[in-house]
Amino acid sequence: MTPPVPASPLSDVDAHRLRHGDAAARAELARLAQSDFDLAVRLAEWDRQDAALLALYAPVADEPVPPRLHAVLKMPVAPPSQWWKVAAAIGFLAFGFVGGWGAARLAGPVPATTIADAAMASFATYAVEVLHPIEVAASDEAHLVKWLSKRLGTQIKTPDLMSEGFRLIGGRLLPGDKSPAALLMYEDDLGRRLTLYLTRSDGKASGLAFAEEPGRQAFWWVDGSLGCALVGDLPRDTLRRLAIAAYHDLTEA
Amino acid sequence: MPFLDEIEAAIPGLRAYARALLRDREAADDLVQDTLEVALVRASQWRGEGSLRAWLSRILLNRFRDGLRRNRAAPMLTLVAEPTAPPQGEPRLALAEVHAAMGRLPEDQRAALLLVALEGMSLAEAASVLGLAEGTLASRLARARASLREMTARDRQSPARKGSS
Repeated sequence: MTPPVPASPLSDVDAHRLRHGDAAARAELARLAQSDFDLAVRLAEWDRQDAALLALYAPVADEPVPPRLHAVLKMPVAPPSQWWKVAAAIGFLAFGFVGGWGAARLAGPVPATTIADAAMASFATYAVEVLHPIEVAASDEAHLVKWLSKRLGTQIKTPDLMSEGFRLIGGRLLPGDKSPAALLMYEDDLGRRLTLYLTRSDGKASGLAFAEEPGRQAFWWVDGSLGCALVGDLPRDTLRRLAIAAYHDLTEA
Repeated sequence: MPFLDEIEAAIPGLRAYARALLRDREAADDLVQDTLEVALVRASQWRGEGSLRAWLSRILLNRFRDGLRRNRAAPMLTLVAEPTAPPQGEPRLALAEVHAAMGRLPEDQRAALLLVALEGMSLAEAASVLGLAEGTLASRLARARASLREMTARDRQSPARKGSS
């Protein structure tokens, strides 16, 4: 092949390496294009292609996101993460994992594993919320307790966590696996937040188990008709003390 | 930003990418939903290395390929689809034509081109998402752009560029 212009030293492949490389690579490409008409023509064509693709598809990102996609993030589907190894190691696995996660999900009672995961997911969503962390404020505590107890179908209480400086600021109702779940939120003077996730459970009673994800830890347990998880980003000992306090308050007659 | 918030923030971009890839609104949102579900299930595998966006794109593309394999007989790709945006002003390339041409590109080329052109990923990022060497990806992009150019060049005075043959 004998092109009438000086043979381009830069193949399409190499031009792509530079075009989608770092700033230095892109600058090098621009410099080469100044003395290589053929290359400049190719680059202009690719720019037009990119512009067309952006014009065609980028606007999709501005469309309202269908609720079903947001709903995925609120579903307690996350399976045991690293925490279950901890739980297994200390003998807390009262709920069979025999058939793996799929089987666990198909099993009758609400798997306790979802309690920790759902609790941490709701903590992630609501504890950072500035404007609307709660639906009903603690100033209306009697109503809050009555409403959440009614929706959960089991009596709940609001544990007192002032021992570590956390006061109740309110709560909200959440979608749950088989029945709604409740989220109580606490805050201390430093603005640190804790959430207590409560859901109806017909699982077997369990001991206190620890679970964690980046940025949040949970102590969870099942007692009677309630599955509970206290979630926060606190030293583990502090969180454990608080979980035990909550446990006592919730189970006291 | 908490993990779930970061995932949530990535949804609009994933939708755009999936729409461009699948060219069908419902199918694209199904793919995104599938991707999100897998991402939550594998949340513990996320180590904060690289961008979350790249990790999600990798999941999405794996699900996309799985879908292609499953639907070999009845491809989920629809070649006839309307552009998502009406042409504005005087585009250099007719958008409808580009959209149609994208539909005729092989899926691997379309997926690769969209990562850099729509997602704005670097060659290195896109190569890691696709599990390819950078050189392989660069030639795939070059092929994709050449095909696209041929398919959209009909009405335009195309500069006489030498073919490589």
